[in-house]
Amino acid sequence: MPFERVLMRHVGVPNSTSLAVYKADDGYAGAARALKMTPDDLVEFVKKANLRGRGGAGFPAGVKWTFLPKDRTVTYLCVNADESEPPTFCNRVLIDSDPHMLLEGVLIAAYATRTTVAYIYMRGEFCAQFHILQRALDEAYAAGYFGRNILGSGYSLECYIHRGAGAYVCGEETGLIESLEGKRGWPRIKPPFPAIEGLFRKPTVVNNVETLACLPHILTRGVDWWLSIGTANSKGPKMYCISGPVNRPGCYEAPLGLSCRELIYGADFGGGMCDGKKVKAVFPGGLSMGALRGDMFPKPPDGKVDPRQDHDELDCILDFDDVRKYDLLGLGTAAAVVIPEDADLRDTLLNVTRFYSQESCGQCTQCREGTAWMQKIAERIRAGAGRPVDLDIIVEATRNMGMMPGLSICGLPDGAAWPIRTLIQKFRREFEQRIAAQAPGAAESLIRRTNAAAYELPVLHGRAVQPVGGTYATPVDVAPPP
Amino acid sequence: MSWRTIDRRTVPLDDLDPGLSAAVKEKIRSFFPRYPTRRAVLLPALHIAQDALGYISLRAMREIAELLEIPPSAVLDVVAFYTHFWTHPRGRKTIVLCRSLTCELMGGGRVREALEQRLGIGEHETTPDGQWSYMTEECLAACEHAPCLLIDEKLHKAVQVEDLDRILVDAENDRLDLPRSTLFDAPQET
Amino acid sequence: MPKIIIDGQTVECRSGIPVLQAALEAGLAVPHYCYHPGLSVVASCRLCLMEMKMRDPKTGQMDWAPKLFPSCQTPVRDGLEVRFCSDPVRDNQQHVMEYYLLNHPLDCPVCDKAGECYLQDYTEASGPATSRMVEDKTKNPKKDIGPHTLLYQDRCVLCSRCVRFCDEITGSGELAVVGRGSRCEIDVLPGQPLQNPLQGNVVDLCPVGALLDKDFLFKQRVWLLRSARSVSPADSRGQTIWIDYNEAGIHRIRPRYNEKVNEWWITDEARFGWKHVHRRDRLRQPRIRQGTALQPARWEELPALLRTWFSQPSPTVPNPIAAILSPMLTCEEAWLLAKFARSLAPQATLVLGHVPTVGQDQTYPKGFTIKAEKCPNRRGVETILQHLGGPTASFQEFLGQAVEGRFRAAYVTGGYPNAWVMDPIATALAKIPFLVVHDLFPSALDAVAAVQIPGSAWAEREGTFMNCDGLLQPFERALPPLEGVKADGQFFSELLGQPGLFRARTVRETMAAELPQFSEVFIPRDLPKHAH
Repeated sequence: MPFERVLMRHVGVPNSTSLAVYKADDGYAGAARALKMTPDDLVEFVKKANLRGRGGAGFPAGVKWTFLPKDRTVTYLCVNADESEPPTFCNRVLIDSDPHMLLEGVLIAAYATRTTVAYIYMRGEFCAQFHILQRALDEAYAAGYFGRNILGSGYSLECYIHRGAGAYVCGEETGLIESLEGKRGWPRIKPPFPAIEGLFRKPTVVNNVETLACLPHILTRGVDWWLSIGTANSKGPKMYCISGPVNRPGCYEAPLGLSCRELIYGADFGGGMCDGKKVKAVFPGGLSMGALRGDMFPKPPDGKVDPRQDHDELDCILDFDDVRKYDLLGLGTAAAVVIPEDADLRDTLLNVTRFYSQESCGQCTQCREGTAWMQKIAERIRAGAGRPVDLDIIVEATRNMGMMPGLSICGLPDGAAWPIRTLIQKFRREFEQRIAAQAPGAAESLIRRTNAAAYELPVLHGRAVQPVGGTYATPVDVAPPP
Repeated sequence: MSWRTIDRRTVPLDDLDPGLSAAVKEKIRSFFPRYPTRRAVLLPALHIAQDALGYISLRAMREIAELLEIPPSAVLDVVAFYTHFWTHPRGRKTIVLCRSLTCELMGGGRVREALEQRLGIGEHETTPDGQWSYMTEECLAACEHAPCLLIDEKLHKAVQVEDLDRILVDAENDRLDLPRSTLFDAPQET
Repeated sequence: MPKIIIDGQTVECRSGIPVLQAALEAGLAVPHYCYHPGLSVVASCRLCLMEMKMRDPKTGQMDWAPKLFPSCQTPVRDGLEVRFCSDPVRDNQQHVMEYYLLNHPLDCPVCDKAGECYLQDYTEASGPATSRMVEDKTKNPKKDIGPHTLLYQDRCVLCSRCVRFCDEITGSGELAVVGRGSRCEIDVLPGQPLQNPLQGNVVDLCPVGALLDKDFLFKQRVWLLRSARSVSPADSRGQTIWIDYNEAGIHRIRPRYNEKVNEWWITDEARFGWKHVHRRDRLRQPRIRQGTALQPARWEELPALLRTWFSQPSPTVPNPIAAILSPMLTCEEAWLLAKFARSLAPQATLVLGHVPTVGQDQTYPKGFTIKAEKCPNRRGVETILQHLGGPTASFQEFLGQAVEGRFRAAYVTGGYPNAWVMDPIATALAKIPFLVVHDLFPSALDAVAAVQIPGSAWAEREGTFMNCDGLLQPFERALPPLEGVKADGQFFSELLGQPGLFRARTVRETMAAELPQFSEVFIPRDLPKHAH
């Protein structure tokens, strides 16, 4: 049976954002069905489907809902539409083409969690998407899908769109909650988890846009349909994004379990590399999940891989489990960006470190200082003044930023550590070659210009400090240690 | 004091203005029923204020703080955390250029250089004629159309250096071709 | 009381506190910046991380969990086992210290905080000796953020203690974290400076030299200071303080932790309320009126003169003698002076002196109160007067009687930091033929006093203040009295003919024999360095 697209069924359909088009395609039938169930039955139903969160962590949505305290009086639902993980854009595509699918998902999730107010936290840069979704919301209100006594069920729900203003860390659920409360988006310490004490100190569920968009389909098509899609532990369709120099960059829906190679080369997906270039590296799950080596590093013909050698890792299956075998943090957002063979990885390193340094919220020391330090080092390497020891320093910094759990309040430093560390570890040879090809003495002279004090310190190889007359004089060159 | 410090205790009156009109304040108040606390209205209030004034002035910060019954520094705190808000005046249109990994791979760096050269300004600056301001943003979530840029609300896709001339002279370059919601807009003054 | 095991040692601790607090109270030097027991927990410095034993879900055995936990955020519970002396914990501390020092300027030689800086001490204990960062350090400007406070932004470690203090304790919220990531700065909204009656505390709270007190700026290196346990005379709450002083005098005042009164904070009145001690116009010599002028006298002449005047009975007035006991006196001094007056004239009128008040009591969100009553010992003097009985009068009654010419001799004590002799007071006291004025500064009474005795300031005395809630708190002497001046207590005991040196403790023991309230004093325990 060929795979039928559900999440992206309306991409390219004219007028797809209107309620009429959506309703013509069984729209709000899932919600109608849900409202006939009790909230507890609905939670059980979603739990059975094992709908794992699409936001990055892959936590089962139904299980998340059961963490809410039984005796709660007020519950909030926050919809995480703060899609800011580069290079992810599936939420944008989804809202662009089918805003009512999201709204129906909101209604179902809100009913299951007995929420009375839902906030859709939408990133500030989504301008067209805000207008589309707000219009759809107005339409849905007018049609009685929101507001008082929805579809005669006695259930009432208010839904508001809250616009963010440009902060990656607000995609973290407690950062999002703080931001919604009108504070700077510094993630909260946990426990208490949002399910116990979240928005306005009340039990709160935070779900991703794509997760909620799956709900109407599970309700209309049933759990068995859902479970028939995907791999052993990763069920359902997923919106994969592919961008970079491929022939067909875009968002594609496929059952969970697509391989990275297929995503790049499949005719239905990326359609191969532009100009027949080879792939040097891929960030297959959004930046934060880490990098894979591309087919520039072919496997030996017998298929046996020597772990000490660079080898092609494109066979990685993009589901919730297989990615870990390739030293990736997780599936993430399943948004791949391809680095072609002719790209300079020093640019990539600089871009990645700058991203995390710009977006670190500034709360935890390791993340605040570590990301900025790595950016400074990457800038220097890019300027042609790197030292081999810089690579070790970066790898060590990533280890004490986020390798061991619990070192920081939120997951951002882990997300920063993984791509930077995998990039340097998996492509160390290239970095070393680039550094070796620098002009002789470039690192020393640049460091001396920018920070004379550091230059004077004996940590620098090949330099010694000569005190003359009680003060530090100009350092003299000495032979580097053999 | 004999060494250089920045004076934060006094502020010249010119640096304070402009303030918010009564209509803008009323619009901010209309958001109160949406949230259980007044403070939660801060982001919507800042969106509306920025739409009205072009940026968040010191007086606007104080007035918003008064409306929401929070300390004025809490407003500054939030304004400075989010990249969307400007604390100094902007040009009529603002270009937001994406500099994420994909856009950079697809030639975003060249577009940025060309744009800076064409406008003759750096990031967070405004052209002398008051027409353009420009800033960069980490990712605009439009990577399939890389490199991309936003002019106010309109997303321009797959922008190459040679497209810049056409985009910048287009009078409609900031207009969305879909029905807009005025929810976060400043009220029209009559 | 839960028992927890820290590094193999069983520690009994108060329930409900975080593990970090328990460890600090047990005397362990656990590095930390953002945690402060008086403020909310943010767990952002990541320096106090520890290992914790948890039940392994696979084996069911208790074992060290493969992650680190912030000890400031983990509440104690009975049987909890944690450790700080382990490689992962020490590794983390070293790495975090390296991060802190990446951009921190090496300006300790000119930094006021040097010597009591958390960053210095932790670096010495666990930090790296050299920085591996070869790039230029981030340089941030200095900011003048308030009448008393300067901010050296590049020294800041962003523990956010000051911001939380202004949000939670004073509720005024002047400070904010501005910016994001490594560009974060502490700042105020321009034109809205840090200006509240507790603002000085942010300087004590700052673990590094980022927030500095303009008053103390570049005045002294802290290792040249000695500290005396004192009680602030600024208001009737009896805030306990450290007087930091050396041979050049007082240099600053810091809060001394006191769980019963002011906890970790003091008011600015207490912090800056020592300037009068070093005023140039302090009285320095006893003087006796001869003709129209006051002429210098020797201390030895005074007791006999006073005894003569105070013991002469009056043929016309029943109680011609009065002693005005200022609420600035210590309990011991008030006791001695009252005893002196009554020993010579058993019907002498004892009067509680002028009680200065300013405005209303001010209570902050978390309960910190600034008292309107700006004197330390009203209650102590009242207790003594009540006990001694006999003729007493309020200060107003006394003034009224004095105007009528009812008194032939009076001993007036002052000791107030500010001018207190207003016109009605001066007019009334002018009617007393033999007026002894014992005060710190010249005043309108100079013209009418028969004898003028220089007083000593509270920092030059020892004794006990009873605060507005009846809590008796002793304090130490920091400075010697001015040259040529006798400490008040010493002079009073000489008046009473008691031999030897005045010791407040000895006097208090005699008092306690009659007045059981004085048998017990409250001395808050001293906290070790960097205990909060």
